[in-house]
Amino acid sequence: MTAVIETKNLSKWYGNVLGLSDVSLEIESGITGLLGPNGAGKSTFMKLVTGQMKPNIGRVSVGGRDVWNNFHLFRRVGFCPEQDAFYEDVTGWEFLTGLLGLYGFPPQEITERAVRALDIVELSKDKDRKIRSYSRGMRQRVKFAQAVAHDPEIIILDEPLSGLDPLGKRRLIRLIRDFQSAGKTIIVSSHVLPEIEAMTSRVIMIHQGKILAQGDIHSIRDLIETYPHMISIRCSDARALAARFVPDKSILKMSFGPEGRSLVVETHQRDAFFSRLQTAVVEGGIEVEEISSPDDNLQAVFDYLVGK
Amino acid sequence: MKPKASAGGPSFWTSFRRVFAFFFFLGGRTGRSRVFFLLGLIPVAIAVMVRIVLAGRTGDVVAVFNEILMVFFVTFDIVILSLFYGTSIVAEETEGRTLPYLITRPLSKTAIFLGKYAAYVTLMFIMVSTSLFLSFFIMNGHRFRDPALYLTFLRYAGALGLGILAYTAFFAFLGTFLKRAILVGLMFGFGWENIIQYFPGSTQKFSLVHYMKSLMPRRPSGGPLSMLLFRLEPTEPAVAVLTLVVIAAAFLALACWLFRTKEYLFEE
Repeated sequence: MTAVIETKNLSKWYGNVLGLSDVSLEIESGITGLLGPNGAGKSTFMKLVTGQMKPNIGRVSVGGRDVWNNFHLFRRVGFCPEQDAFYEDVTGWEFLTGLLGLYGFPPQEITERAVRALDIVELSKDKDRKIRSYSRGMRQRVKFAQAVAHDPEIIILDEPLSGLDPLGKRRLIRLIRDFQSAGKTIIVSSHVLPEIEAMTSRVIMIHQGKILAQGDIHSIRDLIETYPHMISIRCSDARALAARFVPDKSILKMSFGPEGRSLVVETHQRDAFFSRLQTAVVEGGIEVEEISSPDDNLQAVFDYLVGK
Repeated sequence: MKPKASAGGPSFWTSFRRVFAFFFFLGGRTGRSRVFFLLGLIPVAIAVMVRIVLAGRTGDVVAVFNEILMVFFVTFDIVILSLFYGTSIVAEETEGRTLPYLITRPLSKTAIFLGKYAAYVTLMFIMVSTSLFLSFFIMNGHRFRDPALYLTFLRYAGALGLGILAYTAFFAFLGTFLKRAILVGLMFGFGWENIIQYFPGSTQKFSLVHYMKSLMPRRPSGGPLSMLLFRLEPTEPAVAVLTLVVIAAAFLALACWLFRTKEYLFEE
């Protein structure tokens, strides 16, 4: 498949602060998730791809053409910025039609496109309210609408799900997947792993301005399986529970949490451990209050990948 | 239907017109525009009061217009308008973090900057000329049939229009690279400009207001309120017009170049 967006040795720094370092990527059509903690360089990458910033080193091209100072390309690109910023004195309708006017569509078409975009994000009923009166979720949705209203081939979404309630997130994820089905190229950034997982399995993991891993998310997770899983069990009698696991050879390490109220276990065989845990809890009559995985989050994944 | 565009995308003028239309509409919707429009009604209110108080004393009425209301327009109204609108051309996009909505559209940065500048200059001119028109004709209501009156009005309007062009270009230039452009602009507009214009000799030519004052329809004045004509050693009108146009063009060119090359980072 041909790359729609290509970066070569892309680097950007702000004074002495490194924003992005030597990033070479090829992004094909479909959804690509850009994962990384806050400050990892995701927004810098997106600003470079949308021509808002000039790379210090390297190049970024869309459809084989350099992005910087090539504003004609932006007809093909829709960008949804991370920041919650708007022209607050206008209505959602005026915001959308005004921005569509910048593309030079005829008035009738501006109206049709704005109606369609507001319909997609389910804001038709509130289109005549001023943006300053919109809830955070509505603001996110109108921001998304302006990125897709001109029907771009490439949609770049910087943290589009932040600030949305669970229902809003589900709706927007469905919408993004619909755009994928329509053959669009979509880059979506997030620092929340499950959000990206719900949209795509193709990810780019970025940390401290560098690409840590890229490819299929399951392959990356398999890679992480080589590290032991940490499981914390808060229960009525942590020591009694620990005693039941002492002979278990799959347990690498056990420790007790604060005040001895929880047992923290490290194992390579997480699924096997959970089935044994069930038996141990029932046989020992132990009351379990909470089971959690302190390292089952994106930060932990990054920690593994950077070797902390 | 696809947007009307040539193979290489829209021309500069097409982009300019689109940006102008967008910001002319947006600019008219802001609370700031409403406040400034109300501010422009101050001379109108004064004109009404003066007409009532000085009923029948036509000479005094005209003097009040020349020596008080024009001072308001020349040394306050257009400076404050140009300062707030000019510096905001870039600053409101960066401080409001709305710049990505503009620079990720198929528009050149020059067209964005100049389109917004033209939209704001037009808005300001509408505000100032409405206020000038009302106050001028309220004050000169007794001379409606005198054709010279209309030429005088046009000359005032032209001088103020050129002043808006030049001041806004200068303040827009400040706004492209200074974080606190409004403070520097205040010092320039109400410090430097207010002081230097009353210096004798050629020093006063280092102020923009000097060239505006040189374009005013002059009349003999020596009264204690003749602030505008006090110590004015006028420049030839043609030179004054040219100077204001060149100043506007030079600062616009600099501002466009800065806006095209500078990367604006948002403070979190």
